[in-house]
Amino acid sequence: MRIPRLLQAVLVLLFVYFGFILVFDVILEAVIPASLIIMYMFFVTAGVFMVFTYDEEQTAELVAPIKAMVEDPSKRLIRNIVFVIVPLAVGGGTYWQMQPSFEAPLELRTIHPAPPTTAKIYGKRVNLLKLENPYRKLEKEDPEQFRELIDEGAAVYIKNCQYCHGDKLDGKGPYAEGLNPTPLNFQDVGTIAQLQESYLFWRITTGGPGLPQEAAPWISSMPVWQDFLKEDEVWKVIMFLYDYTGHRPRSWEHE
Amino acid sequence: MTGPRAFRKAPALALFGLIFALLALTFTGFDQLGPLASEQAAAEQVVAADAAVAAPYAPAPKLTAADYPTIAGVNSRVAVWIFAQLHLWFAAFVLAVPIFVFIIEIIGMRTRDKRYDDMAYEFIKVSITAYSLTAILGGSLLFFLILFYPHLFGYLSTIFSESMFYYALLFFAESAVLYIYYYGWHWLQGGIRKWIHLGLGLSLNVVGTCLMLLANSWLTFMMSPAGVDAAGVFGGDTWAAMNNFLWHPINIHRFVANIAYGGSIVGAYAAFKFLTAGSQEERAHYDWMGYNANFIAICALLPLPFAGYYLAAEMYLYSQQMGITLMGGIFAWLFIIQAVLIGTLFLSANYYLWCGMGRSDGAKRYTKYIKYIAIVLVGAFLVWFTPHTLVLTNEELKALGGPHHKILGPLGIMPAKNTAVNVMIIFTALSFMFYRRANKVATVSWVNAGNAIQVALFTAGILNIMFLGIYHGYFTNTVYKVAASIPQVLTTVVVIVGSITLDSFIYKNSKEVAPLHWGRIPGRAMYALFLLAVAFTWLMGLMGYIRSGIRQHWHVLDIMRDGSVDAFTPTLGFAANVVSVAAIIFMAMVIFVFWIAQVSSNKTLPSGYWKE
Amino acid sequence: MKQFFTVVAFILLTIGFFAGYSNFGIPQIEPAPPPKEEKLDLGSMTMDQFIALGDRIFQGKGTCTLCHNSLGRAPMLGTIAEVFPKRLKDERYKGEAEDLEAYLVESLVEPSAFVVAGFGKKGTNDAESPMPNVSGGSIGLSEAEVAAVVAYLQDQAGAEVTVEIPTDVDAAEEEEEAETREALADPKAIMAQFTCDACHMINGAGGEVGPDLSKVGAAYDRDYLRRALLQPNAEIAKGFEADMMPDDLGEQMFVTELEVLLDFLVELK
Repeated sequence: MRIPRLLQAVLVLLFVYFGFILVFDVILEAVIPASLIIMYMFFVTAGVFMVFTYDEEQTAELVAPIKAMVEDPSKRLIRNIVFVIVPLAVGGGTYWQMQPSFEAPLELRTIHPAPPTTAKIYGKRVNLLKLENPYRKLEKEDPEQFRELIDEGAAVYIKNCQYCHGDKLDGKGPYAEGLNPTPLNFQDVGTIAQLQESYLFWRITTGGPGLPQEAAPWISSMPVWQDFLKEDEVWKVIMFLYDYTGHRPRSWEHE
Repeated sequence: MTGPRAFRKAPALALFGLIFALLALTFTGFDQLGPLASEQAAAEQVVAADAAVAAPYAPAPKLTAADYPTIAGVNSRVAVWIFAQLHLWFAAFVLAVPIFVFIIEIIGMRTRDKRYDDMAYEFIKVSITAYSLTAILGGSLLFFLILFYPHLFGYLSTIFSESMFYYALLFFAESAVLYIYYYGWHWLQGGIRKWIHLGLGLSLNVVGTCLMLLANSWLTFMMSPAGVDAAGVFGGDTWAAMNNFLWHPINIHRFVANIAYGGSIVGAYAAFKFLTAGSQEERAHYDWMGYNANFIAICALLPLPFAGYYLAAEMYLYSQQMGITLMGGIFAWLFIIQAVLIGTLFLSANYYLWCGMGRSDGAKRYTKYIKYIAIVLVGAFLVWFTPHTLVLTNEELKALGGPHHKILGPLGIMPAKNTAVNVMIIFTALSFMFYRRANKVATVSWVNAGNAIQVALFTAGILNIMFLGIYHGYFTNTVYKVAASIPQVLTTVVVIVGSITLDSFIYKNSKEVAPLHWGRIPGRAMYALFLLAVAFTWLMGLMGYIRSGIRQHWHVLDIMRDGSVDAFTPTLGFAANVVSVAAIIFMAMVIFVFWIAQVSSNKTLPSGYWKE
Repeated sequence: MKQFFTVVAFILLTIGFFAGYSNFGIPQIEPAPPPKEEKLDLGSMTMDQFIALGDRIFQGKGTCTLCHNSLGRAPMLGTIAEVFPKRLKDERYKGEAEDLEAYLVESLVEPSAFVVAGFGKKGTNDAESPMPNVSGGSIGLSEAEVAAVVAYLQDQAGAEVTVEIPTDVDAAEEEEEAETREALADPKAIMAQFTCDACHMINGAGGEVGPDLSKVGAAYDRDYLRRALLQPNAEIAKGFEADMMPDDLGEQMFVTELEVLLDFLVELK
């Protein structure tokens, strides 16, 4: 027996929905956010609608049961039941949606706020657009010294940064559990790999308190490292971050 | 017919008057803004260039809220915003129509198929009032700009007075050519006359494009100022100011987008005429017209993401701050809205093609593939839609152990999105190829080999795009992330051009299964065309907001501060509301434009009114 | 016509969906307001506003009232318009001013040009003023701010206000330049930078507004001193006034400077 097309469409949607849940929540153990799956399903529904209705005959077949339910005198009972259930379902859904809950409101932080053009770092006004890592050029000119500097950067990192950002630079240091927002994972392709070195310099030296307005609430526990580290130490740490993770600082020039 | 034509001319002439008056106002307006500017403007009209060089220029004014005239009850920023947006929509439309009218006219001349010539004429006919509206709205924009932002306008005009003057001249040229082109359509037919007409069409396009380039240079100057020093003192070289960093990226993006946009609006017109058509013949005609308009829109839509990507990359290159404001900061969510809209565009364009397969009797052979295309399109779209920053509830945060999502996180950045959009473009092209093939049976002997090559081409292309995206996006230096997008685009181009070329050889001298049944298409498909037009309009409005918004509190980036009370950047929701209101006004005006074009052919024969 | 309305409804619905999604489907982030720029205000200021600005600086940023108050640590300035001609003729006068405005500016940026008898630094026989140069150091008033203070002083002394509101002076930028400094490593330099000696005496040199610090290391430990520096009003030494010492040193000093200073202070035994 062929499955009626309306049922087919519904089954496809259910299949996709539970497919997402199964793959993300169960198999990969990385839950799919509710905010995202709603929009995903919206577009999947649009896609299913498109596939099921581009042809006249098939559309007629798809809507036939709905039409019959509304128009066919023999389906009066079902019709009445549906017409009662639908408004109730909508009303109920709205009620549950609007009910106050104990869930803390969503907090949304901008993870990469746009840097200011200039910032006051180490008592100097630094132009972040032009700022470059003074040691970066050594990478080609003097690889040996470059390596030494990275090793020095590693030492600085282990002394100061790994408690939160982790000894694997994955944001899972011993103190990471206690922090919200959690420390940044430098291994992630979405963090330092997307940024220029001057941006890191700005974020490290000015820390949580140096975040601009748009990155509010300023609950970042990142210290203001310019008070504790020397300028050259910060640059060395930055080089270590890139070296260890294998990322390259963002730049627009080819090598 | 002479009556109604004259009737249509009258408002146009009135408009000329208005524009001229406004331009005059512009030049006299200089007096209060700065004696230098007016002197310069006057000098230019007399002895062109050299007077300008000697004049010293003032730095950009430092403004306070008191420098901005206000009118009670009017939000000056929103007023300027809406008029600028309306003007831009109409300008995009009227710049695009001559481009494809010109192309369709050539097709008509080559094929000697009168239907094309008639369609080209109808395109220009239905949009003729839009030219006047563009001018009215441009004049209003100018008016509000001078009214509410006199110092900004004054500063810009000290730099661009020369080009503003040529803009005015070009505008008159544009109008003159347009009217001869349109009203002379039936007069300039056949032989050399048709060639003259085509020449007019070409010059209309050249002049129109020059107008756009000039206006673009003014606005890109505000984004990436050039030819001025840090205090905003103009160096005297207008060309340096015009040829600023973002000028060409914007030019390219707008040129392509205008064509897609014009196609979608005319498509909506045809769709409406189709739905209200009385006869089968009329339905067939408007179905055909809608199909052609949609074809134009899709052709321009396919390269558009690349043009946009180029523009964004150039912005990043110009200033990291601007780039991060654009992609990573407050505007990051705008790109999620943009993804929804572009997804809408791609999906509705594809849906229209699929519905159109009902026109041919041979389409059954291909319909079984549609669901796979749909799966890939939706899948690629979901990747594109996935935001970089996920909105997580506290419970989800706990379950994930932080805001980083190991699967969705990597989908949020550019390499994934580039891959997705390339796949979407390739599959839209595939939809189109199926549509083309639907009614044909190949007669060449190597048809199987040809098909195999095409399958191989598509497979290799998609694999290459995936490889480039995944390998270069996640396993190599950052610099290649950007670089990988170029071979991806090239792959897409090679696949599309290669397969369509091959297709045209395979289907040379092919048999038609049966004559195409123009008009045999469900009404739903017409709504796909409406959706295309509306989504396009709204999207342009939204992107207008971000293009202007990334300057944040600057009139001219880093040179002239916006000192008004409206210097803050509005939220996305507010911007969306302004765009929606403007879009509704625009749609109403477009309906008026189309209606007025139709009125001219309606005749009322009153009985007993005129003495016999 | 029905068709027309259906299409219009469809269009409105579509636009509504886009607007709805933008408003409710995504988080609304309130972008940062444009940064405030003080210098913009100067251009549109009236003289009254300018004088009011001077008043604010006098009470606040300029820290003038620390000493120029009823406790008599420094001369009061209400009669300045009457007494200044006499001072200019005084033989101890080392400046070049010829009118009140110039004299006031001079007194602000070069306080030792004339020291009112009895108000000089201890041991200098009124040759040196304990007052710091207000355009430098931790006070760091810009030229425009100095002008505003002068305008205020002229006004409150009942003299004609001769100061012109600067229009071309880039106040904000000057301020930034003044802020620009490297962390200092020498405790003496730090004390000079923050003009500690204007109020505190060490080994016989310095003011008497605050406690003598010559043997402070013997009496207090490092933690106490740190708190005393960062939160001066938390505990007030006997016989001294509260609210005298600036309570924003924590913001003005580099952390390294604070530590250097503490190292120095605990050694004072």
